[in-house]
Amino acid sequence: MDSLGPGNSSSASEPGRARARRLRTPAILYAIALLVVLAFLFALGNRNFLSAYNLNTIASYAAILLVVGLGQMCTILVGGIDLSVGGLMSFISVLFVVTVKVIGFWAFPLCLVTGALVGYINGNILTRIKIPSFIATLGTGGILMSLALLVSPLPVVAPAALYGVLDIVNGSFLRVGNLLVLTLLIFVVYYILLRFTVSGKSIFYVGSNITMSWMSGIDITRTRNLAHILSSVGASLAAIFLSCGQYGGDPSLGKVYILNSIAAVVVGGTALTGGTGGPVNTLIGALVLAVMENGMNVVGVNAYFQQSILGAVIIVSVFLTFDRTKVSMIK
Amino acid sequence: MTTEKKEPMFELRGITKSYPGVVALDAVDFVVSPNEIIGLVGENGAGKSTLMKILIGLVQPDAGTLTLRGRSVTLKDPADAMRYGIGMVFQDGSLVPNLSIMENLFLCHEIGFRKFGFLSRRAMRETARGMLERVMVSEDQDTRIAEVTPAVRQMVEIARLLWLSRLYGQANPILILDEPTTVLTEGERDTLFAILQSIKKEASIILISHRLQEVVENSDRIVILKDGRNVTEMPASGAQITDIEQQMVGHAFTADRYLEDEQIVPDDEEKVLEVQGLAKRGAFEPISFFVRKGEIVSLVGLVGSGKEEVCRCVNGLAKADAGTVILGGKKLTPGSPSDAVASGQGHIPIDRRSEGLALGMTVAENVNLLVLARLRSGLLVSPARERNNATQWIEECRIKTPSAGTLCANLSGGNQQKTVIAKWLSSQVKLLVLDHPTRGVDVGAKDDIYRLVRKLARQGIGMLVMCDTLEEDLGLGNRMLVMKDGRLVGELDCPPKRKPSPKDVIGLIV
Repeated sequence: MDSLGPGNSSSASEPGRARARRLRTPAILYAIALLVVLAFLFALGNRNFLSAYNLNTIASYAAILLVVGLGQMCTILVGGIDLSVGGLMSFISVLFVVTVKVIGFWAFPLCLVTGALVGYINGNILTRIKIPSFIATLGTGGILMSLALLVSPLPVVAPAALYGVLDIVNGSFLRVGNLLVLTLLIFVVYYILLRFTVSGKSIFYVGSNITMSWMSGIDITRTRNLAHILSSVGASLAAIFLSCGQYGGDPSLGKVYILNSIAAVVVGGTALTGGTGGPVNTLIGALVLAVMENGMNVVGVNAYFQQSILGAVIIVSVFLTFDRTKVSMIK
Repeated sequence: MTTEKKEPMFELRGITKSYPGVVALDAVDFVVSPNEIIGLVGENGAGKSTLMKILIGLVQPDAGTLTLRGRSVTLKDPADAMRYGIGMVFQDGSLVPNLSIMENLFLCHEIGFRKFGFLSRRAMRETARGMLERVMVSEDQDTRIAEVTPAVRQMVEIARLLWLSRLYGQANPILILDEPTTVLTEGERDTLFAILQSIKKEASIILISHRLQEVVENSDRIVILKDGRNVTEMPASGAQITDIEQQMVGHAFTADRYLEDEQIVPDDEEKVLEVQGLAKRGAFEPISFFVRKGEIVSLVGLVGSGKEEVCRCVNGLAKADAGTVILGGKKLTPGSPSDAVASGQGHIPIDRRSEGLALGMTVAENVNLLVLARLRSGLLVSPARERNNATQWIEECRIKTPSAGTLCANLSGGNQQKTVIAKWLSSQVKLLVLDHPTRGVDVGAKDDIYRLVRKLARQGIGMLVMCDTLEEDLGLGNRMLVMKDGRLVGELDCPPKRKPSPKDVIGLIV
C-alpha cells in the first residue's frame, strides 16, 4: 500500500487539475477518507494490520484487483461491461503455466496476445454481430472457462526450474516487489492512454453519448473494440501475475474476479452508465476492497459475516463516490 | 345534445406559462364548446403544444383558471384529465406496439372485465368490436399494433379515448389531435375526417394542423395563436387561408433581427456542397442543389416534405438509394458520418441533448471533441492546448459558463447550443447543416446564434439551415429551397432588404 499511496495522490492531483472544478475531486476525497477510516478501524482492532508484512499482503491483493479492474473500467466507461474476465483469467492462468514450461519467457507475450485477441473477439461480437456486451461476454466467458478446464482440468504446478522466469513478477526491486512496480507501470500506461490519447478519450465520448459520437465522426466500432481489448489485456496481466505468485495455474482462478473487478470499478465511482470515472477511481476502489477483505480477516470478523459488511461498504462507497448529478435517471 | 346555442363546456382563462427565458403562453383564453371541432393553428413555438399539455394535465399553468362543465378544476396529470374526459392522440403515438389492438384499447383499465377474478376476454372482445366499429377499424382485434398502419393506430387511440371517457361516465369528451394527418395517405385522411364528423355528435375535438386547407374544411371554429398569445379566432366557414396565414405570421419584422445587413454575397465560383440526383425511396425524389462558399441556404417544407431526410443523407446519417454528395470537391461515402466529418462537414442537430453533446462531460471536453488530434504535442494530447482551445472558443461563441470545466448538463439550452456550434467551428468545417438551431433557445441566445451564423458565413462556411419559423428561414438565408412531398418545388433568392414575404412562400409549401 505504501508504494501505491504516493503514486496515487500525485497522479490524482496532477492531471486532475484541468477538471479540478468538477464534482469528482471531492468525491474522490470522500473515498480516500473512507479508506483512511477503514484502515484506522482495522488498526485499532489489530496492531499488526499496519505491519509491513500485512501492508504488503494488502498491496499485492489490491494490485491484482487494480489490474483487472483497470481493464473492466474501460468497457464500463465505453458503456458496456466485460463478464468474460473471469473465464479469461482462468484460461490464461493455465495457458501461461503450460506454455511457460515449453517456451519460457515467451509465454508472457503469448498470453498477452491471446488476451488481446479475446478482447478483439468480444469487441466484434458487440460491434459487428451487434450483441450487447453483457451477453457477448457472458458467452465468451463461459467458452473460456471450459477451455481452461480442457487445457488442464486440475491446477498445474510450475516446475522449480522455471522460478527464474517467474521472478519477473515475483522478484523485487529496491526492496519493492516487482508486482507492485509492474502494477504501477500498468496504471500509468492506462492513465496516459485514457487521458492523453485521442483513442482513449474517445472511450469517454462514446460512453457518454454514443449517438453524438457517431454523428461527430468518432469511429465507434474501433473505440468499443479498443475498450474490450484493454479489458482483456488487463485480465490477462492479472492472471499472469496471480499464476506467477502462486507458482502454478488454476483453471478456476478467475471466477471471483468477475464481480470483484466490477465492484472495484463502481466502488471507485465510475458510473455503470458509462462516460464518467477513470483510472484514479478504480485505484481507490481496488484499495477499498483489498483493505476490507484483508482487514476483516486480520481483526477476526466472522467469515460468514464478512460478505454482508463488504456489501454494505460497496453501497456506502458508491454513495460517496458516484456523482449522481451526471446521470438523469438511476436505473 | 343538439346544436343549439352552445354553453361553453371547458373554459380556460388567462392561462400563462413561462419557462426559464421564454414565456410560452401569455394570458391565453381558450374555450371549448360541446360538439364542435376547433382548429388550432399557429407557427412552431406559438404555444399550441404548451396549451394542449395544460389541457391534458401534463403541464401546470403558472396562472389562469380552468373551468370544466361549470366547475373550477385542476388537472394533476394526464390520468386525471382522462377522468374528466380529456385525452390526446399524440403525433408519435402512445400505443404499445407489442400488444394487440384489443389489449391496447383497454390497457391498464381491464379491471372492469373481471369475472371471478379473471379477465373475461369474451366481454373485452365484444366491447372492443363495438368501439372499433365506431371508428371504422376492420382489422382483427388480435393484430399486434406494430403490424397495422399509422391510420389504424390513430383510430385505435381515438377509440380508446372514447371508451375511457365512457368508462369514467363523461358525456361529450374532449379529444385533442396533434397533426393527425401527417402520417396519413389522401384516402385515410378523408376517412379520418369523416369519422371525426360523426364523433362530433358526442364529443368536442381540437385539431392541431399545419395544413390550413384541411383545418378550414373540417373545423367549425379556428383559433390562432402567435408567440404565446391569442391573435384571433374566426368561424371556419368562409375563412380565407391567406387571411389565416397573415394572422399566423403576424407582424412585420422587428428592425433587423436576422442581421441582414451582414448578409454577404457568396462567391459564385466555389461550391462547397453539390448534391446530384440524391434520392431515397419513400422519403424524397431525386434532388439536386448546391451550396456556395459563405452561402446560407434554407431548406423549407412541412413535416414529411422530405427535407429532414435529405439532410440526413447529406450528413451521412442515412444512406441514399441513388445520387452523390460532393463536399469540397470530394465525393462522400454514403452512410458514413465519419467520412462526412473528416471531409469538413458539421451538423448542428435538432436534439442537441441526445445528438449534439456529451452532457455528462465538461464544456471543454465537448468543444475539443473534434480537434483532439490537433491538440497533441508529440503523441499525447496536451492539457494546456486543450485548455487554450476551449477557452478561445468559449469566448468566441460567447458561451456563458462558470468555467471550461463545467458540465454541459448544467448549461442553459442556448449555451448548450453555442457549445455544439463551438465544437464544429473549432474543427474548421466547410459546410454546416443547422437543424433548427434556435429550437428551445431563449431570446437573447437566439440573437447570439444569428450573430454566429453571420460570422460563419463571413468566414466562408456554407450552411444548410432548417429553421423553426419561416421568418427565420427567410431572414437568415441567401437562398431558399422549398420542398413538398419529397420534391424540390421552388427556389427563391433572398437578397437582404428585398426578402420575399412569408406569405409568398407559404403558398409553395402547403
